[in-house]
Amino acid sequence: MSQQLPKILESIIQEIPNLIFKEQDRHRLRLELQKETLPALLELLKGRAGYLHLSAISCVDWPETDEFELVYHLWSYEIKTLISAHIHIPKKPGHYISVYDIYTPAAFFERDIHEMFGVYFEGAPDMEPFILTEWYGPPPMLKSFSSLDYVKDTFKWQEYSPDWLKDIEAKGGKVVE
Amino acid sequence: MTTNIQMKSETCRTPDKEERSLLRQVLDKIADHCRARSLFILHYCTGCGAIELPPTITSRFDAERLGIQPMVTPRQADILLITGYLSIKTLKRVILTYEQMASPKYVIGMGSCTINGGMYWQSYATVKRLLEYIPVDIYMAGCMPRPEAIQQGFLQLMDNIDKGHANTWKDYYHNYDEYLGNQQGLFGPDWHTPTDVIAEARHYQLFGEKTIGEHTALLAKFASEYVTKPIPKEIIA
Repeated sequence: MSQQLPKILESIIQEIPNLIFKEQDRHRLRLELQKETLPALLELLKGRAGYLHLSAISCVDWPETDEFELVYHLWSYEIKTLISAHIHIPKKPGHYISVYDIYTPAAFFERDIHEMFGVYFEGAPDMEPFILTEWYGPPPMLKSFSSLDYVKDTFKWQEYSPDWLKDIEAKGGKVVE
Repeated sequence: MTTNIQMKSETCRTPDKEERSLLRQVLDKIADHCRARSLFILHYCTGCGAIELPPTITSRFDAERLGIQPMVTPRQADILLITGYLSIKTLKRVILTYEQMASPKYVIGMGSCTINGGMYWQSYATVKRLLEYIPVDIYMAGCMPRPEAIQQGFLQLMDNIDKGHANTWKDYYHNYDEYLGNQQGLFGPDWHTPTDVIAEARHYQLFGEKTIGEHTALLAKFASEYVTKPIPKEIIA
């Protein structure tokens, strides 16, 4: 472990079982942990190290392993080290627990992820549609969702055949897609 | 309810097209000529094209030379300028705004996004062809069009109005069923606006065969004392 890392962080990291940690920088720490231990980590970080700011939760869809990766980005104004905590959850059933009781802003991030990826967060205050109010299709950020096919089914296209293109086509050329 | 509306429309006098006197026709020409030289753009911007408007409107290119200036409310505006891409959510607001504007009204599609989706052609959330949802008078190609191109477009629109060619707003009343059908395709069958377009079409004497149809029939459940219940075609015939 690095000498620069504050002791309080070291002690928290040691308390969490099966945690892999990688220090990218004095100000940037990447933690990979089991999904069961994440709420405990957040509680410890918030309670002991002043990690009051959950700046985002991001989600990554991994089709090869059939998993979602959830990344919790945390910031402490005292320690000044950005922590990103990575967990993997299976795509089916795609459920996880909400951290709304620890960080209130998580409600928005979880609602957004539910809409864009279909992950359901148990205990979240609101899982209603958020931004996509006119959306009837599957969660659009999934790798399995083909935006091109959806667009082809939903919208019509404008015919495009200007004179200059006709000239080129007469000589055997065409528009390359 | 239905019979009431029918009676009303029957009691309305339907003037013959030939009835307009020569003097009146001349006055119409003069009105068109004047109208083309005093156009207000609705101050509503979507997408990235809005950034080209400040130089167009202000002293560098000075659109007021052409009698064009921004206006804050849809009721007072003549031109609805769609400046760039429209998300489906924005399109809803655009249609609401368009229907609130007083006729004659003109729509300008600015930039390639309004023509065919532009660089967002692959996006699930962006509308591809604006003219399916509201009638468009003039398109300005470019990504984005420079203020020179915008002014060229304004001049073309003025010329069209002057010659009496800019009549797409009538098309909205003539083919309301088709436009509404396309809108419902995006927003779902419950889509309806507070503006009573069918009654307006009657008022402007633009009620045609295609004003109502299978799509407007879905509006019936939102009809009230203030909003026309679309009359089935059989009753009119």
